[in-house]
Amino acid sequence: MGDGPLTDLELDIRLTNDLSQLEPLIGRLESFIEQADIPPTPAYRLELAVDEFFNNAVDHGYPDGRTGDIGVHIRRTGDRLELTFSDDGDAFDPFAAPAPNLTGTVEERPIGGLGVHLVRTLCDSFAYRREGGRNVLTLGFKLTA
Amino acid sequence: MIQIDRIVEGNVVVTAVRGRLDSSSSPKLDEFLAAAPDDGSVILLDFADLTYISSAGLRVVLKATKLARSSGATLAVCGLIPQVHEVFDVSGFSTLIPIHQSREAALATFT
Repeated sequence: MGDGPLTDLELDIRLTNDLSQLEPLIGRLESFIEQADIPPTPAYRLELAVDEFFNNAVDHGYPDGRTGDIGVHIRRTGDRLELTFSDDGDAFDPFAAPAPNLTGTVEERPIGGLGVHLVRTLCDSFAYRREGGRNVLTLGFKLTA
Repeated sequence: MIQIDRIVEGNVVVTAVRGRLDSSSSPKLDEFLAAAPDDGSVILLDFADLTYISSAGLRVVLKATKLARSSGATLAVCGLIPQVHEVFDVSGFSTLIPIHQSREAALATFT
């Protein structure tokens, strides 16, 4: 995992598409959350977004097994958190997927498909773009939640 | 990353999970809950010391719920911190799985 500049208000991490990177990534994120004094609820939502997108990118973005480059950038500005998650995996807009069935009986519920739904519901803004061969997801979180 | 303990209280099997349930730790809970429960028994997942759950953890909880139903057992959870409770609400699990405030409150309803 590359060492980006780390300040109280900004975190910039580059990493490869390997699940072994998740634990150090979460460690860096939790240090940032502590230093930037992020309240528990937005902190949890931010961590969930990074975790779900990282897992999705690693699991589905590189079906040919090539080494990928994933970027996580987080900035605290006033009462908002901005997350930019990018990867050079196959083009995929997670927000275009239909919401999973959340009202059926236990037998009807699909095992899976929940991650993006959780993130999309718990953030305050989200956007996808394909730019320079990368999927770029930008999410906003209010700190006052 | 996680610690899992099993405590039997009458017909209730309490599974207490401490730590985080993400993609790297959830397979451990999945393994722990893989055996079909006895007909009429109760599986209580005590999440009082669970600080984090992602969709990977929710998948394991849903799978265990399906297994319990098909075995004639009941699965319930207790002790959710507010952020974990929010994830249960948003995923629609709150309407599927009984959620109790604490282990004591849950045991009082099952025994």
